[in-house]
Amino acid sequence: MSEPTPTHSPRSAAAAVAPFSLVRIWTIATGTVTQLVRMKSFYFLLAFAVVIVAIGNINIPSTPAKELAMLKKVSFGTMDLFAWLFAIVSTALLIPRDQEDRTLYTILAKPVRRIEYLLGKLGGVLIVIATSLALMFALCAALLYARETIYVAEEFTAMQADGRYSPEDIDSQIGLIRAQGLQPGLLVAVLASFLKATVVAAVTIFFSTFASSSLFTIIVSVLVFLIGHAHSLATNFWLAESKHNAFVEIVVKVVKILIPNFQLFSFSEGIVLGEKIVPALVWQMGGLTGGYVVVFLLLSLLVFVDKEF
Amino acid sequence: MKTLLSKVPRVVLVLVVLAVTGLVRAPIEAGLRNRLVAANLLLPPPGQTAMEQMSQSALMGTLGGLRSLVATYLVLEAFEHFSSKDWEQLAQSYNVITSLEPRDESHWVSAIWHLGINATANMQIDERIPSFERERRFREYAAQAINFAERGLQQNPQSVDIRMQLAEVYREKLKDNCETARVYGEAMIQPGAPGMARRFHGYFLARCPGHEQEAYDFLIGLYREGLQQRKPTLIKEIKNLEEFLKIPVLRRIPEDDPDRRLGEPAKSTNPTLPGGVEIP
Repeated sequence: MSEPTPTHSPRSAAAAVAPFSLVRIWTIATGTVTQLVRMKSFYFLLAFAVVIVAIGNINIPSTPAKELAMLKKVSFGTMDLFAWLFAIVSTALLIPRDQEDRTLYTILAKPVRRIEYLLGKLGGVLIVIATSLALMFALCAALLYARETIYVAEEFTAMQADGRYSPEDIDSQIGLIRAQGLQPGLLVAVLASFLKATVVAAVTIFFSTFASSSLFTIIVSVLVFLIGHAHSLATNFWLAESKHNAFVEIVVKVVKILIPNFQLFSFSEGIVLGEKIVPALVWQMGGLTGGYVVVFLLLSLLVFVDKEF
Repeated sequence: MKTLLSKVPRVVLVLVVLAVTGLVRAPIEAGLRNRLVAANLLLPPPGQTAMEQMSQSALMGTLGGLRSLVATYLVLEAFEHFSSKDWEQLAQSYNVITSLEPRDESHWVSAIWHLGINATANMQIDERIPSFERERRFREYAAQAINFAERGLQQNPQSVDIRMQLAEVYREKLKDNCETARVYGEAMIQPGAPGMARRFHGYFLARCPGHEQEAYDFLIGLYREGLQQRKPTLIKEIKNLEEFLKIPVLRRIPEDDPDRRLGEPAKSTNPTLPGGVEIP
């Protein structure tokens, strides 16, 4: 009995493949997560734990509310730092690592579009960042809640024992401590750090499409991040220092146009200080993040689409 | 599209896309930034002086988005300066800290407390420094504390805590009753002001020459609010003012002078002290 002859030509088989598949992106994303987990990337959570436990044990003359505020600021500052740093390092490592391992050739030899590959890689990094932020927040929230509970109990006992304070006085004092304790709004501060890390990852993936090494990508991405963070802070300073020199003004404008404004994404600082959250602004920041991701993915695709390996 | 990709160098295309999107996003981001700053979610840039005073690492940290971390580190550093009584360095640290987080009232309050209370107290007792120099520095530190308070109030116009701390400097260190009364007077009309701010405004107004009648009217107003306001000090100040202003006996408050009664417990017919405290 003879073998059945194939009924589809390679061309028709390719045509049968969906032009864009979320399943393929998800497969690459989950593979990226596994890849990052194997790189022991979650170990930095230990460093985070050490930082917040250390800051929680610093004794300076302060009120309970101020101690909680300090703990929050350091925890969220560290979270933000780890998130963007992790976004840069992990994204910078992925494409070169795939090239070294020759996984990239295997993937691209299959009917996987290059945009799907880029989206999958970015998705994987973002899943790991989101998980890390969630774990860091859980750690921070547990410590904050424990401290808040202790402070509230101590303050309540001390004020009651004193006998001079009315229930309103006690309530207002407890309210001061609670305002600096664990609040639902802090989740939005975590979201702000995630949005910042998302843009950083998108920018880094763009650099890694044409960079010759991971080191180059990391250095350039960190520089771009610092410039993108500093330009809105330092513009006035530079202009004043240079007495509004025309050349400096042009340089500042070019930098502002070419490099993303990362400072905008630091709105978690206000939330951590206890400022009221404006939902419309959070949505707008989400939209801006989406815009950045689309633009930098398109730029990455522009470089990556017909790159020969 | 393929023709475009093959004819135009990729770097040019990338730069064009970056420039076009940059031009589109610039006004959007400027508006967003203004709204975030107005909502106090984003901090305004640190002042030029603060940038110049920052160490290289602090500056890098600030520019790199670690503003709150740098501020916290500087608070710990300022505490070291406090421990070693290095008041000049402490003032410099707080100049930077308050520039980094101008809306955090606690930094302004700490700066006023350190300079206005601790540094001045140190100048009152540090005998290693000649007395003339100590007096000069005492005034200088007090002036620095007042300056911090003024800057802090520009950033946080409704702050009660900054005013209360400033009032303490005027009250405890500068012994300026008129300024103390003025600052408590400002504090008491702010939202969330403690009840004692009103009483303290009255007490120190009573000791401010030329304002006795105003103080009497204010304190009598508090007295008429009810028993919760009739603290021993309030009664004492009203009694003093009644004597000073020669208020007719019939219009005077019925309570005895608390100091006199404390000295003469046997003569008192009232079994409780002012404020409802029972005599054991």
